[in-house]
Amino acid sequence: MTGGRAAWMLVGAVLGLLFAAATIWLSLVELPTDVLGDLLAGVFGMWTLGWLIGPLWSGAAVLRADHFTLLPVPRRRLAVGLLGAAFVGITTAVTALGFVGLITYGARQGLVPAVLAAPVAALQLVFVVLLSRVVHALFGAVAASRAGAAITGVLFAAMLVLTQSGWMIVVAVMYSDVLTTGFSHATTVTLRAVPSSWGVVAVDAAGRGDWPLALAAPAGLAVLCVLLLLVWSVELGSPRRARVTIRGSAHRAPVRGGPFAGTTGAVVRKELRTWWRDPLRTTTAVVPIVWALGTVLLPLTFDARVLLPWAGPALALFAITSAGNLYSQDGTALWQTLTTGTQRADVRGRQWAYLIVFGPPAVALSIAFGWWSGLTWTWPWVAAAVPALLGGGAGLIVHASVFGLVPGPDAHKRPSNPLERADTTGQSNVLFWVGLLPAAPALALVWLGARVDQPWLSWAGVPVGVLTGVAVAWALGAGAIRKLTEDGPDLLHTMRTGRPPVVRRVDGSGVAARGGPVEGLSWGLGSVLLIPQGIIPLVFILSDIHVRSWFLAMYVWPVLGVPIAVLGILAGIALYARAVRTRVDRRAGRAGGPASAGDRELESV
Amino acid sequence: MEPANPRPAAPESPEVAGRPPALRLSGLLKVFGAHTAVDHVDLVVPQGSFFGLVGPNGAGKTTSLSMAVGLLRPDAGVARVFGVDVWSDPAGAKALLGVLPDGLSMPERLTGRELLTYLGQLRGIEAGVLAGRVQELLDVLELGAAERTLVVDYSTGMRKKIGLATALLHGPRLLVLDEPFEAVDPVSAAALKAILTGFVAGGGSVVLSSHVMPLVEQLCDTVAVMAGGRVVAAGPLAEVRGDTTLEQTFVRLVGGDAHTRKGLSWLAS
Repeated sequence: MTGGRAAWMLVGAVLGLLFAAATIWLSLVELPTDVLGDLLAGVFGMWTLGWLIGPLWSGAAVLRADHFTLLPVPRRRLAVGLLGAAFVGITTAVTALGFVGLITYGARQGLVPAVLAAPVAALQLVFVVLLSRVVHALFGAVAASRAGAAITGVLFAAMLVLTQSGWMIVVAVMYSDVLTTGFSHATTVTLRAVPSSWGVVAVDAAGRGDWPLALAAPAGLAVLCVLLLLVWSVELGSPRRARVTIRGSAHRAPVRGGPFAGTTGAVVRKELRTWWRDPLRTTTAVVPIVWALGTVLLPLTFDARVLLPWAGPALALFAITSAGNLYSQDGTALWQTLTTGTQRADVRGRQWAYLIVFGPPAVALSIAFGWWSGLTWTWPWVAAAVPALLGGGAGLIVHASVFGLVPGPDAHKRPSNPLERADTTGQSNVLFWVGLLPAAPALALVWLGARVDQPWLSWAGVPVGVLTGVAVAWALGAGAIRKLTEDGPDLLHTMRTGRPPVVRRVDGSGVAARGGPVEGLSWGLGSVLLIPQGIIPLVFILSDIHVRSWFLAMYVWPVLGVPIAVLGILAGIALYARAVRTRVDRRAGRAGGPASAGDRELESV
Repeated sequence: MEPANPRPAAPESPEVAGRPPALRLSGLLKVFGAHTAVDHVDLVVPQGSFFGLVGPNGAGKTTSLSMAVGLLRPDAGVARVFGVDVWSDPAGAKALLGVLPDGLSMPERLTGRELLTYLGQLRGIEAGVLAGRVQELLDVLELGAAERTLVVDYSTGMRKKIGLATALLHGPRLLVLDEPFEAVDPVSAAALKAILTGFVAGGGSVVLSSHVMPLVEQLCDTVAVMAGGRVVAAGPLAEVRGDTTLEQTFVRLVGGDAHTRKGLSWLAS
């Protein structure tokens, strides 16, 4: 287990416990029973969703059926055994705690519903665990395909959006009248038809004395569990599905002319094929699009359209964090660039391919969502920001990929799983903020134009944005070319040998990468303090918006609000700095220490 | 360590009739931490020779060859290809070289044909010539049937063959091949051997590393034996093996002595 993963596990366990506590707390809140039942059903739905997404997110290797293929165990018994193993873990314990909320909810309605709730809650736990296993097995079968990789990207981005901007939903719920009048009838019926809600249905029915339903709901859950177990035991033995279908290009002659004829053109074509065919790249391309959509669409839950026009810039910005480790994704294939001496074409080709992949959706989203929002004042802002961010991104991704290369699994050793990749959490965090810089000059001009009420000045931001984009792409690309030309063999060596987490040493012992948990926690806590506990409440206080959500600064005396928000920002920056320092220290340690990456020998000596 | 064979590692007459050798390594050194993987290796591959580099695992073959072709920076020493310094004039040296490294990735999401076309374009080969060469290579190496298979899904043997095709594509004068016959089926191996011997007969030079002694004995005219990061014997095949087989010579050179030494360097790697 890497340090980063351990840190995430710790964070996950703490968040899970908080969520479990919140579930129990919710079941005790003074609300009309039917409203509470709906809310609780929604919360159990979220638990189930968490169980579906969790294994995909972590990419953790759970005990797999193929570990037992050589043992003479019948498939069904193996399925039951693996299910037993699946129950052992922090997540199951935390979930069981959360499901106690069903029992407390039953207790509000009497002794009998409470007694019924206990076995139903247990059944519900079996259901989510089984569902998670089955979906994981099915997903493993499709993840190799293009659609599977895209789905992975969607889920990944959805998780990111929820962790960063999930507070918007809380705001939406708090400021709607759901808490007093309940959900609409259609919503209630739909919500309660979902199996994860059947526990609540059973307890409610028992409370009403509706015994047939009170028994039918758990029986339904039990039947579902049996079905899932059957599906799973069948799925255990099924062979691997085929990968992406390739038409090939047997009848296509090499390009003779046109824009794709030269060496750079050849790289562009290779890159576009890779973007299209490599599950890891598909995920890399999908994440920014879904992140942008999710972030700008979430405020619609409280009917705010203010973020809609920014979908394009958001995509262009997040693409940078997503694609900031390109060379590592292709691994030791770098040797062919070195032996053909085509470093310049390789960098420029990758930049063009990046623009071709992310440019059109960024422009299309800007136009479509800008038009949808009806906020005409945003046009010059968006038109200035998008080219600057895209061009800046084209520069930053190659620069970061070369100068901040994070080695991961080599390209030929990760044929299908888009979740097997280098851990670039730190780099992505830095790129997110640095990625904003190229847009600064153009946006400053737009702001100035708006300030002095000179539309032509605002619109002058657009050519400035284009120029900044071109300049940054060119300059950072040139830096990357130089580095690749001078230190290409060293980068190749890093990718050939520097695969975290275990470092093979001369004395034969393995050493896990140092500094991981500290760095991971610093990035995570730093983000929380900087954005939702710092910048957002500060903006709210200064703009006189009264939304509390989980913003600490909004709960204290008004005089203390601003200092606390500022403190949050400063603490966040300090933690970021700490994380950067840890990373730099680790790099330095690797370069100079006795167990450094460079000390490992080539694999096939 | 005392080399069992006291013959100097680098022959003193490298330049045949005033021509620079196809490959000359002088004093190559590579240290990984406390371990010296390649310890001042000197090697001369005469033009037109079929050169076999043999040695046990961890002997430093891959490391030496990587440094020789410009894929790993040496701590000291010089590598020259036809007199051109690989590290000071990489473009000049690499145009003369065809390389097949062991265990490295390629642009994995291309089919074999797409990969060869891509590399041909990077090398600046004219489109018409390129299409013909690619087709010929795919035919000879029997990769034409895998038209819809990405390189990432190739078997180990197929990877070797497509790798060899990329090394041959631009018509190099020197081929440096790391374990080219590993996991290649006998039919393909025969095709490979035919290609390589034809290449040498046409004036080209080949350096290959291998564990398989009979293969080296069958193909190569010149050999070098590496052990513990050093060249312990080098020269014409007949001279190095003497009256015995290459395998017996090899075991005598690196086997008995090496196994009794304390701490097997390659087991610790």
